[in-house]
Amino acid sequence: MMFKKILIANRGEIAIRIARACRELGIRAVGVYSTVDENAHHLRYMDDTHWIGDSPPQASYLNISNVIDVAGRAGAQAIHPGYGFLAENSDFAKACEESGLVFIGPSSNALALVGDKVASRNTVQKVGVPIIPGMRTVGKDSSGFKKMAKKVGYPVIVKASMGGGGKGMRIVRTEKELEASIAAGQREAKSAFGDASVYLEKYIEKPRHIEFQVLRDHHGNVAHLFERECSIQRRHQKIIEETPSAALDDELRMNMGEAAKKVIEIAEYTNAGTVEFLLDENRNFYFLEVNARVQVEHPITEMVTGVDLVRQQIRIAAGDKINLSQASIKQRGHAIEARIYAEDPENNFLPCPGRILYLNEPSGPGIRVDSGIYQGWDVPPHYDPILSKLIVWAENRDVAIERMSNALKDYIVLGIKNNLGYLKRIMGTSKFTKGDYDTHFIDENEEELSIPKENIHVVLVAAALLAAEKKGVSVESGGTQVRRDTTPWQELGHWEICED
Amino acid sequence: MENRLRHLNEIHLIKLAKEKDGYKAIIGDAEYKVSDLFVKENLICFRIDGELRVIYHAQDSGTRYMALAGEHYVVETVKARESGAKSTVPQEENSVTSQMPGLLVKLPVAVGDKVKAGETLAIVEAMKMQNELRAPRDGTVEKINFQEGEQVDALQAIVELADLHEKQ
Repeated sequence: MMFKKILIANRGEIAIRIARACRELGIRAVGVYSTVDENAHHLRYMDDTHWIGDSPPQASYLNISNVIDVAGRAGAQAIHPGYGFLAENSDFAKACEESGLVFIGPSSNALALVGDKVASRNTVQKVGVPIIPGMRTVGKDSSGFKKMAKKVGYPVIVKASMGGGGKGMRIVRTEKELEASIAAGQREAKSAFGDASVYLEKYIEKPRHIEFQVLRDHHGNVAHLFERECSIQRRHQKIIEETPSAALDDELRMNMGEAAKKVIEIAEYTNAGTVEFLLDENRNFYFLEVNARVQVEHPITEMVTGVDLVRQQIRIAAGDKINLSQASIKQRGHAIEARIYAEDPENNFLPCPGRILYLNEPSGPGIRVDSGIYQGWDVPPHYDPILSKLIVWAENRDVAIERMSNALKDYIVLGIKNNLGYLKRIMGTSKFTKGDYDTHFIDENEEELSIPKENIHVVLVAAALLAAEKKGVSVESGGTQVRRDTTPWQELGHWEICED
Repeated sequence: MENRLRHLNEIHLIKLAKEKDGYKAIIGDAEYKVSDLFVKENLICFRIDGELRVIYHAQDSGTRYMALAGEHYVVETVKARESGAKSTVPQEENSVTSQMPGLLVKLPVAVGDKVKAGETLAIVEAMKMQNELRAPRDGTVEKINFQEGEQVDALQAIVELADLHEKQ
């Protein structure tokens, strides 16, 4: 039975994305907000809105009992968690299940399994999906680490079992550094995740990050919707994604897609999930992890396959069958997404909350903007700095890059520092245009990605002209432009409304 | 007309002179001819040495945000007093400030503490990122302007160190 009302336990662009899917399905959308988000953009897309707590995320968007409580009061039958916040929290999924609410995502058991990196590696290996050579269990004593490092060969990487986002990771190139790196990794893991467990595996030197989108329903039907390449990352966070990947040919694509489906099936995972792989220089792929949510970069898959992923998520959660056969899903053309962040690329990507004084979003053929902001809004400091996503589609990769470049030029966000210029510079690098890049792209192309000097004088002249204008000094230049103190209506003179 | 503007820590002097069909702008050794100026709301267009440029802008007191050809710029007006390099110890040497507004999550020092250059004096968190603010030099903590858990603005002094000269 399709839901009548869904609570969207998120904010920003993804809350709006989900509300749009609800509208198209005839489902009422319930929005939630923290104190600081009282006037946030996503609330304008909801049929009903509820306050869920104070501004810090722990008090509101991460507060399981508040979210469940509001869902009950609002009369929602299901909760869509979006991404981030509670999206991959098995306790939350369980709390939903226990309150009789449908969690739009996998079951709490599947979530718990894919959330544990060591357990999920062991599980997928059983069905023949390749994993990076390394430890099967959390390492205990340093001799075990040493033995494994020798077996897989240096360089190796020490990783936190509960990890993510690069925390607790240490690359080790010689045996000498090993012990100190394990200790450092454990300390960092303990402080970041409350669990000091670390393990060791082979370090892949120039990896490409390639993930496959999979859908699986409660009737055992499973289909993949091809790959997304997400190798352009800063601080282990994706900023540009594209599909198809320039690194895959049809055979490799098919093999990886089949492997991704196996992972989802063995984990008894339902709903939309993403299977992440690393691809090495010799085109070997290794399972990394499952992202158990709708992903930030899901729109590029929608653009090339024509499948609405959020709609599929809702339908699957309601018990519907996936109405897609693997053979019917095709990749058509090329799509790229750029994530617009409130951050300063000229200062270590430091977040820059503040007021948006002016906003102009691009439009045109093949351009999609999934945005969570509006002009005049104060971007709060409490949450992720993502402002919006710009997605382009074109018939091939070259045209898509050109289209993205031009759309980024048309995208103006004034009042807070942002990465729009930086994203445009990425489009112009030779490595990106050739499709020849890996996850070290940002670090290795620093010079080509620094702000160009060429137009600085033009900008300074413009600022000086604006200052002159403000002081009331006439800056008219040759009389082609008339200064208006009157409206065009006044200049028209006497006028009256025609009767017919 | 003269303007002193700061862009990415560099101060530029821009001179504007009115001419019969526009402006002459001088920055250092470079000279530009400006014509066909059009200013309306957040838009300024003009020709510079014949080339048409379209710039979007918005102002927040002394700070101008500008966008041209896909690049975003932040340009600040420099007051005449600031531009002369007279003060011996720059302001920032005596205090730590956050580059970003955020939540003051940790304040590991107290007034009277002796600190070493590079020691963490405060940790500010914004948008899921923690930023450690370190002592710019050796010194003694003289004043603390906030408490843990408080919201701080960008460029507000959080911890102040005793003046170097008073000690000597």
